[in-house]
Amino acid sequence: MNTISTATYDMNRSSIFSTLYSLKAALPGLLAMFFIAIFSNNLVGVPNPFTLQNLFAWLDGVIGPLNHQSFFQIMNANFVWNPLLMGLIIGNLFGVPNAWKRGLSYIHLMMPLGIIMLAPHFMIGHASKLGFMPILICVAAMFITATVTLYTGRLLKLDDRQTSIIAGGLSTGDPHAGVILMPLIKAKGGQVVGASACVILFGIIAMLILPLVGPLVGIPDKYFGLAAVTTVGNGAQSLFAAFGQSYEAGRYATWFDVGRHVIMPAGFIYVFVVMFIRKLKNKGNTNVHATGDIKTFPIWLMVFIFFWALACLHLFRQPAAHAIFNMVQWDFSMAAAALGLSLPLREIAHDGIKCFAVTCIAGCIRMVLLLAAILLCVKTGLLPA
Amino acid sequence: MTTNKQTTDQDGFDFMANAGREEQDRDMIGILLASAITVVITACQYLGLL
Repeated sequence: MNTISTATYDMNRSSIFSTLYSLKAALPGLLAMFFIAIFSNNLVGVPNPFTLQNLFAWLDGVIGPLNHQSFFQIMNANFVWNPLLMGLIIGNLFGVPNAWKRGLSYIHLMMPLGIIMLAPHFMIGHASKLGFMPILICVAAMFITATVTLYTGRLLKLDDRQTSIIAGGLSTGDPHAGVILMPLIKAKGGQVVGASACVILFGIIAMLILPLVGPLVGIPDKYFGLAAVTTVGNGAQSLFAAFGQSYEAGRYATWFDVGRHVIMPAGFIYVFVVMFIRKLKNKGNTNVHATGDIKTFPIWLMVFIFFWALACLHLFRQPAAHAIFNMVQWDFSMAAAALGLSLPLREIAHDGIKCFAVTCIAGCIRMVLLLAAILLCVKTGLLPA
Repeated sequence: MTTNKQTTDQDGFDFMANAGREEQDRDMIGILLASAITVVITACQYLGLL
C-alpha cells in the first residue's frame, strides 16, 4: 500500500511543495487538527477557555495538591498529551473521515518543524550554577539509563523501536522524547504511545518508592533532590518524590531539575545514533527495525543540532526563545492530534506487558545505580553537604 | 498485513506512511519553515521589535 502511494507521489511530483497537496484536499484534515489543538490546550493567540487543559486545571483544584504537585502534571498532561488524548477518543469513537487524511499527513512535516524549533528551549548555560558534580551525575544518569534500557529490551526481545522509545523517555525523564524519537526511529504510533505510557506509569511507581527508600539509604535532603530528579520520571513526579522526603529535598529537586532538562536533546540523539549504527552493522537482520529505511544522518536533525549549538551560545534570548517555544506548542498540538486520530486502541496495548517489564527493570537498575553513586559522592566529599 | 482504516483512505493513501521522495520533501519543508520562523522571531528581538 505504501509502495503504491509512494510510486503515485513520485509520478505526480512537480516540486517539494507537491507534498502539501491542494488546499481543497488538505484543508479538512488541517481544520480537524486545528480544532482539536485549540480545544485541548491554551495556545497563544486563542482566547478559548473551553480546553482540556483548563478542565484538568479545574479538576486539579478539586483534587488538591499531592506533595505540592498537581495530579494531572504527575500524569504528564501537557501540550502533547492533551490533543493526543482527544484525537484518540475522537478517532476510536467516531473514526476518521477519508476527507481528513491528506491534511493529517502534515504531521510528517510538523514533526521536524517542531523539533528544530525546540532547540532554543535547551540552554546548557542555565545549568552551570549547579556545579560540576551534579551536572556530571545528570549526564551520566542519562547515558547509563539509555544504555541499560536498550540492553534490557534486547534481552527481553522487545521490538527495538519500542525499546528505543522507552530508552528516550526514561533517560531524559520526559515522555515527550518518545514523540521526538518517533520520526528518527520510525516507530509506529502505537509503540510510541504505549512506551510513553509505560514510562509515565513507572514514574508513578518510582515516585512512591523513592521516599520510602530514601531514609534507609541515608542521602542528605539536598542530594535526595538530585536523586529524585535523576531516578524518577517527569518533572512533577520527581518533585512529588522529593517533597515526599522533605520540604527541603523538594526545593533542591526544583533547583537540580534544570540539569536534567537542558541536556535532554543529547538523550534522544544518543538513542538515535546507537540504533542507527546498530542497523548499519546488522543489514539484512529481520529483527532490526529501528531507524527503518534511513540511510544517512537526517538533515533536519543536523539543523536541530546547529540551532541547539546556537542556543548554547545564548544567541536566542528571551523573550524570542519563549515566543519560538509558543510556536512549538502550536505545532506539536496539531501533530499530536493527528497522531491520536491515527491510533486504534489495540495498537497501543500491543506488547504492553513486555514493554512495561523493560521499563521497570531498566528504571529500577537506574535507581539502584544512582542512589549508590550519589551516596558514594556524599561520603567521599565529592558532593559537599 | 492488515490495513489501518483510521489512517488509510479508499485510494490506499495512508497518512501515517512516510517514505521515499515524499518524506524528503516533507522534511525539507519542515526545515525551511522552522528556520524561517526561528530566524524571523530572533531577528525581531535583535531589531527591537519584540
